[in-house]
Amino acid sequence: MQKVVDEQIIDGQASSAGIAIGSVWVVDSAKQAVSAKKIRPIQVRTHLKRFVKAKELFLEEIEALSVNLDSATKEIFEAQKHIVADVDIETKVNHLIEKEHFSIDYAVYDTFEQFIEKLKESGSELFQQRIIDLENLRDRLIELSSDNGKQSKIPKGSILVVKEISPTDLVAYYEQGIVALVMDKGGITSHAAIIAQSLNIPCIVSAKTAVSISKTAEKIIVDANEGTVVINPTSATQSIYKAKLKEFNRLQKQSLKVKERSVTTDGFSFHLRANVEFTQELDLVKKSGAEGIGLLRTEALLYSGFEKRGFEEQVNFYQQILEQSTGSCTIRLFDVGGDKLKMKSGDEDNPFLGWRGVRMLLDEREMLETQLMAILAVSGKQLGRIQILVPMVSDIYEIREVKAIIALVQNRLDQQGISYDHYIRLGIMVEVPSVALLASHFAKEIDFFSIGTNDLTQYTLAVDRGNERISSLYQHNHPAVWQLIYQTVYAAKKNNIHIAVCGELAGDPVGAATLIGMGVTDLSMSPHSIPKIKHLLSINSQQIFKELAQKVLNSSTATEVSSIFKALFSI
Amino acid sequence: MIKKTVTIKNSSGLHARPSAALVKLAGGFKSDFYIHLYGYRVNGKSILGVMTLAAEQGAELLFEVSGEDEEVAMTSILDLVENKFGMSDE
Repeated sequence: MQKVVDEQIIDGQASSAGIAIGSVWVVDSAKQAVSAKKIRPIQVRTHLKRFVKAKELFLEEIEALSVNLDSATKEIFEAQKHIVADVDIETKVNHLIEKEHFSIDYAVYDTFEQFIEKLKESGSELFQQRIIDLENLRDRLIELSSDNGKQSKIPKGSILVVKEISPTDLVAYYEQGIVALVMDKGGITSHAAIIAQSLNIPCIVSAKTAVSISKTAEKIIVDANEGTVVINPTSATQSIYKAKLKEFNRLQKQSLKVKERSVTTDGFSFHLRANVEFTQELDLVKKSGAEGIGLLRTEALLYSGFEKRGFEEQVNFYQQILEQSTGSCTIRLFDVGGDKLKMKSGDEDNPFLGWRGVRMLLDEREMLETQLMAILAVSGKQLGRIQILVPMVSDIYEIREVKAIIALVQNRLDQQGISYDHYIRLGIMVEVPSVALLASHFAKEIDFFSIGTNDLTQYTLAVDRGNERISSLYQHNHPAVWQLIYQTVYAAKKNNIHIAVCGELAGDPVGAATLIGMGVTDLSMSPHSIPKIKHLLSINSQQIFKELAQKVLNSSTATEVSSIFKALFSI
Repeated sequence: MIKKTVTIKNSSGLHARPSAALVKLAGGFKSDFYIHLYGYRVNGKSILGVMTLAAEQGAELLFEVSGEDEEVAMTSILDLVENKFGMSDE
């Protein structure tokens, strides 16, 4: 009987866009414990020489790889060079070989281990991240110092599946022709992810179980637009993805070639902006054709293990973002709490209903004031470009309090002679149903709304999107969510304030089409989604989107919403 | 031998890139350079030594420089720390 292998789907985080179809190449770098082997005195010289040779080989490897890389990658390699040439490493390794007669591989292993242990003890998150780099460096040196230091050749077109990977190894595999990367560990800011982005290959991180599930030579699909990995795809799945890949390539070409105008066939113009968190994403934002940044997330400033990033550091960050982008930029104040700042908030029974967003900011006044100071200071140099967005508002008094604090900070800036944008616009996230229901009251307090559809969906439907058992109930196209969105849009129009949408719904064809139909002109999404959405919106009329919106508002289930869309656009 | 106490001003502390800058500078002098923190003493010419101090913003380090060019070495090193290791974005 033929053995049937089931298709398996893994969800991860997409860190570099694109789709790739190929065969798996697993590199399972399960750390081999290096045992404390002793050598005979006569071997000492050979082992010392092998260490020198290994370092030379490593530096050569880096030199060879560094030729065509961007500055972020070069900088990472530069630090690695320093570490390999480190005087302490040399002294300790030589001592272990010469005086204690340990073999080269153990000498290297033990020396690095001492430093790694110290870093682990330090407890600082930023330094902890460097441990992976050190471990990779250590393992590569050990490989190079042994006789079989060469990497095995892998077939062109392979998709690399690893637990984690060092920058040098990734670039080396890239030169051998890998077309995508799937990594069990790491976040989108890990070194490997940044490098995959600059090499322009699809990359998925945090794939958790990819290494244990997949086997070398099996078929695999990487969809880094959605963050999905499919192992052993059925032929049906394969043809779906072949079509997606074709479409993606076509759209990429198209968005690079013709700049479609952001206007429907009947002359209704709209603006597509990008959701951004890191400066590394700005290249992609440019390529995507985004008209500015509709949502700048700032939480990454807090994740480096230092809770209160200073004024100057924030000014630099915002300044960089604005200098490397065009158009307006909506900066969202720190949206942390619950799941993200565990240590500070303590264990909450219901973190998503707990101390987060503006609730936390109003308690952590110093943090809020520093952030407002930094944003305002930058606004003085970028007049008219910046807007401030307050997250997780659920009650009107919160926004009034924020306004009072802004006035206070402006006062302080006046005293210090620092200029700022006096007409800076202030808006709130609409993500709690209470705000949508009372939208006309909130509208009187502020300059704009930005609907955060992800949280609005989860709070409206009472579905935790992280909970796998009920994840099918999480439907951002649910008519209940649409009713709340419509109320908010209506209140904004009536009170003559601006309205934007920045959740995943805006990057979803059904969502974007319905929003345009409701008259929302400002959509912000992941830059990956922009070409596809722009295409859909510019080849149809607003009239048909209006018809869609009307039908959506009369429907009762998310499934109904999808079929209405399919029927109207024959997709 | 000269000893001086300095405070780290970079908000991310003495992480990889500032450490690299410090080690690169110190390596150019003949004098020995050691850093003391919380009872640890590390070679200031070793990037791993410096990194493993995991010195965060506000940490007070004691620099110890000794050798023929100790005066100029200390001045240059203090300048570097004062200028936040030439890091503008960190």
